[in-house]
Amino acid sequence: MKTNIGQMAALGLLMVTTAALAQSKPVAGEVAEGSLKGKTLTFVSYGGIYQDGQIAALKEFVDKSGVTLLSDGPTEISKLQAQVESGNVTWDVVDTGDFPPYVYCGKLFQKLDFSKIDTSNIPEGQISECSVPAMNYGVVLMYNTEKYKDNPPKSWKDFFDIEKFPGSRALEGSGDLSGGMIEQALLAAGGSVENMTVADIDKAIEKVRSLGPDTIFWKTGADSQQLAESGEADMIAMWTGRAMTAVKNGAKYTPAWQDWLVVMDQMTIPMGVKDPDAAHALINAYVGKSAQEILAKTTSYTPIHKDAKPEVDEITAAFMTNTPDKLKLGYQQNIKFWVENFEVANEKWNALMAGN
Amino acid sequence: MATRAIDSRDTVPAVTADDRRRWFRGQAFWLVAPALLLLVICLGLPLAIVTLRSFSEPRWGWQNYAWFFGTPVNLTVLQRTFAISAWVTLVCLVAGYPYAYVMTAVGPKLRLILILCVLVPFWVSGVVRTLAWVILLQDSGVINSVIRAVGLSPVKLIRTQTGVVIGMAQVLLPFMILPLYSVMKTIDLRLMQAARSLGASPARAFAQVYLPLSLPGVYAGAIIVFILALGFYITPALLGGPRSTMLSTLIQNQVLSLLNWGRGGAMGVVLLIATFVLLALAAPLSRQPHKTGSRR
Repeated sequence: MKTNIGQMAALGLLMVTTAALAQSKPVAGEVAEGSLKGKTLTFVSYGGIYQDGQIAALKEFVDKSGVTLLSDGPTEISKLQAQVESGNVTWDVVDTGDFPPYVYCGKLFQKLDFSKIDTSNIPEGQISECSVPAMNYGVVLMYNTEKYKDNPPKSWKDFFDIEKFPGSRALEGSGDLSGGMIEQALLAAGGSVENMTVADIDKAIEKVRSLGPDTIFWKTGADSQQLAESGEADMIAMWTGRAMTAVKNGAKYTPAWQDWLVVMDQMTIPMGVKDPDAAHALINAYVGKSAQEILAKTTSYTPIHKDAKPEVDEITAAFMTNTPDKLKLGYQQNIKFWVENFEVANEKWNALMAGN
Repeated sequence: MATRAIDSRDTVPAVTADDRRRWFRGQAFWLVAPALLLLVICLGLPLAIVTLRSFSEPRWGWQNYAWFFGTPVNLTVLQRTFAISAWVTLVCLVAGYPYAYVMTAVGPKLRLILILCVLVPFWVSGVVRTLAWVILLQDSGVINSVIRAVGLSPVKLIRTQTGVVIGMAQVLLPFMILPLYSVMKTIDLRLMQAARSLGASPARAFAQVYLPLSLPGVYAGAIIVFILALGFYITPALLGGPRSTMLSTLIQNQVLSLLNWGRGGAMGVVLLIATFVLLALAAPLSRQPHKTGSRR
């Protein structure tokens, strides 16, 4: 009896040490067997195929750790704010858009403990104090190949040149400020994204205005896809996922990859979650190779693990953004600038969107 | 039909207002209590909080209102919101009035079909319906294909206010037709015959007898449609362009992307007060002279 207890204690100690070791040196995608038994995590994202794919990617984590994973959404920063302010945070890991983890770092989102997340395989420049990427995609110039047969547009400069490239244009106007669109207009106006100033916002918006009153501002991804499939707009600034689906559905459009914008969703942990360690463990599992492959396969988003090799069809592969040749042509948003000038830029953008 | 309705009304013993009051003092309050409670919790309280936040964030004062009235785009959009809503109300009225009249004039079977035609759109999600309109209205869409096929020049429908008004009117039409129908079905059509027999032309009989009697339905329908239209969000977003953005879109932007509850609240309060003012101005119109309409 006595020895039994001793053995069990030793075994227990061993398990604790292993767990501690695993804690001290996390490997992306791995979690200790049964380590989260009896615990519950609520994962929040944007729903649809995307969230289903994320849950599928986390299945191994759930099975192994024994955690109960709840799924909620869609992500709304205002809802999260209400939770944090009332001190009753029920969202443990939240998938957000590009900006929020930068704007609300330390306010709504906690600074991540990178000793608990293995970030060694995440592409350069995508990690912030409060976030790791959830996946990658892009904003890319799609053009009608039947309209621009021999003289296709090559860059945003051509997109914004209606004299050399006559035809209708569509760009994102979903309501939220699209920093990327302003940057691309600025690039077309001969400015630089890295050294943007507030005056550049006006310059860029002027460029957007110069496209004329018939410019289409699409409101949702489905909207943009529909514009391509019906041939309603000759050039469309489009999310790669929607571009891919449109092409799969027979739209005669092709991308011009020059200066495509790297876009990502972010994985975050809100302030005041009950079990930050468990939340970190989820993120660490999520950024693992096999989890990212499952995610890419189910959602066609680009994985954020460098070695992930999802099995996808030809068209999907053509729109995966993590190939070296595409990464060379892409650029990342000047997030620092947008965080500092979000409000003033948003106001100007809104005036444009409201027809003023 | 109308004859039978009047007969049955005569045979039912009348419940007087006095009876009702006595009953109310008893226990009828508890019948409305759940609805009242729901209103207070789900409407009154949030509204109070939103109003409070419009004055308290980021600090106490009128700043959010000063911002609202100091930003030209807000005023343009506010004005546009009322204009679009008025157009939608007008379109619904013009389309709904004859429809409701026909509903009162046909047999029960056909009426059921007509009611179904009004209600079926309710069973389809607003987004789906709006996307259907996108397919119909767009430059390469069904309507313009037909126009082109008959050799006319295509019209710009989508991303214009016209497109938004068409889409919204279709969604809101039932809210016009049902109140109209409920009033029109109580109008005794023999009154029209009487007017005709006294020498009135059909147009005059309609204008002096039928129309005044149907006005309560017109006001009820118009007010419901107008107020619902003011808060529209998805339809103008999908069918409209920048020149048809409505206030709800701006409020959404302030609250959901900027977390600026103060400004968003102020915009909501301004819209609410503007609506009240407009309804107060329209109220005298709805107090119709009962000379012609009295049934007693």
